[in-house]
Amino acid sequence: MLREIIVIALGAILVENFVLVKFLGICPFLGVSKKIETALGMGMAVTFVMAMASAITWLVQEYILVPFGIEYLQTIAFILVIAALVQFVEMVLQKMSPGLYQALGIYLPLITTNCAVLGVALLNVQKEYNFINSVVYGTSAALGFTLAIVLFAGIRERLELSDIPKPLQGFPIALITAALLSIAFLGFQGLKL
Amino acid sequence: MSITKEFSKGLIEENPTLVQLVGMCPTLAITTSVTNGIGMGLSTTAVLVGSNVAISLLRKFVPSKIRIPAFVVIIAGFVTLIDMLIKAYFPALSKSLGIYIPLIVVNCIILARAEAFAYKFEIGKSAADGLGMGLGFTLALMLISSIREILGNGTFLGIPLFGESFQPALIMILPPGGFLTLGLILGVKNWLTDRKKGGEA
Amino acid sequence: MRKNEIVDFGWRLFIITFSVALILAVGNYVTADKIERLNIQLQDEARKSVLPDATEFKNITLEGIGQEEYKMVQSVYEGKKDGATVGYTVNVSPNGFGGAIDMIVGIDTDGKITGIKIVNSSETAGLGSKAQEPEFENQFRGKDAGSSLKVIKNGTPREDEIVAISGATITTNAVTDGVNTAANFIRENLLKVKGE
Repeated sequence: MLREIIVIALGAILVENFVLVKFLGICPFLGVSKKIETALGMGMAVTFVMAMASAITWLVQEYILVPFGIEYLQTIAFILVIAALVQFVEMVLQKMSPGLYQALGIYLPLITTNCAVLGVALLNVQKEYNFINSVVYGTSAALGFTLAIVLFAGIRERLELSDIPKPLQGFPIALITAALLSIAFLGFQGLKL
Repeated sequence: MSITKEFSKGLIEENPTLVQLVGMCPTLAITTSVTNGIGMGLSTTAVLVGSNVAISLLRKFVPSKIRIPAFVVIIAGFVTLIDMLIKAYFPALSKSLGIYIPLIVVNCIILARAEAFAYKFEIGKSAADGLGMGLGFTLALMLISSIREILGNGTFLGIPLFGESFQPALIMILPPGGFLTLGLILGVKNWLTDRKKGGEA
Repeated sequence: MRKNEIVDFGWRLFIITFSVALILAVGNYVTADKIERLNIQLQDEARKSVLPDATEFKNITLEGIGQEEYKMVQSVYEGKKDGATVGYTVNVSPNGFGGAIDMIVGIDTDGKITGIKIVNSSETAGLGSKAQEPEFENQFRGKDAGSSLKVIKNGTPREDEIVAISGATITTNAVTDGVNTAANFIRENLLKVKGE
């Protein structure tokens, strides 16, 4: 069973990285990755939300949606769970770490619309994971997101100091950089687990 | 602004993907083929128009403090409806787009239009705004997926364009290709905008 | 005043959520049947394509489906033509590169693989997705269900070998694994009884 957990975790972090391979979580990836610290903070917040969201949505699916035959309400139920969770994280952060709260700014409530969070909840159901595997997958996917966003922030901090042709400044060079990072991660596809 | 202007602004001037830079996730993920791009674009447009109209209708009923959860529920409702319709009447599309259909719920474009427009304006204009933004999004998707499909698969709408000997650049339909295509398109767009501004100065 | 506000917000949100849920219930009622029928139709067509000689299919329940080494076996159908059994189709879901690959394997009463069809997969576009193309699927046709099929990288395959899709060895291995498991299951549980 431990083996299964490691396979799921490594798969989610490297082989099928949520941002660089599955394209989930792009908005914050491009938006909050200008500085390493903010990126790390965002990553941690998202990891917490995704881990909890995986757990709670699994329970909702298993004990409410399926038994009552209302699986078609899945999207609504899941997004409501996520919205509530993010609200909760916001309140906690405001009290416990006002600095981070300020730095993340509008990107904090935007975690609700982070496709990675809803995406992982939906994928857990699709892959028919049990409770533990769902939480492992959710947490690992978030760690993969954090890895990608921190790596990216590191590169972008350096880019700030470079001379970039005007049309490519800002978003375009960020995307091209992401393309290169994504190619690098393609290398993990050969990982035999 | 007149209704026509509310509609047309979403197509180019305020194009959600290429100008406002919102709704990136599906833009990069789904554009591996033109058919997928069109399918996703039109599905999103349907949800956008529906939710804009519904939210516009309900704007007096929804107090500002709870508007975000209310928006989310309404948008999720439309997405689920569209999902059901696509599964029943366009099963092939449902298979290709996969979880990206339910993910329309978190497409920032829809929430952004609800917040910026539908909550403040009447139905007619909200519908026009939704339609314009949705079609603008669809056009952007078509542009990106055309490039990726032609270069990465040698086909357009599934029809092979080149002879047997054409070796497609597979990377274009793999994830890096998505980032690269969008990055270069935005770069070109910036260059064109700068030139235009420079010429008028 | 705060308490009044909360109650007010509460019932407004409740009405919206309830109305949406109601509309969705209607939508579900209208479309659920069609979606189910489409699913069945897809499955039937797939079964016919892997066991073309059969004209009708019947689901058979067997001990051991989904158990232990046959965990990936989802269901077995008996294919008949004019009342006589011509073969079986097995739904297996081996784990591919991008998740489970849902496929159907057809085996006739002589123990030969009559065909395979991949119904659902999320393998890499342009690489693993090639497994769904006829050139690959046809490789399995006519192979003996008794031989444990092996995957080779290139060259001319022998009777018990399958050539891998270049750049998609994992997908190829998964599909071959699925075929071998399906074949073993049929041989152990069905063909033995019929006196192979």
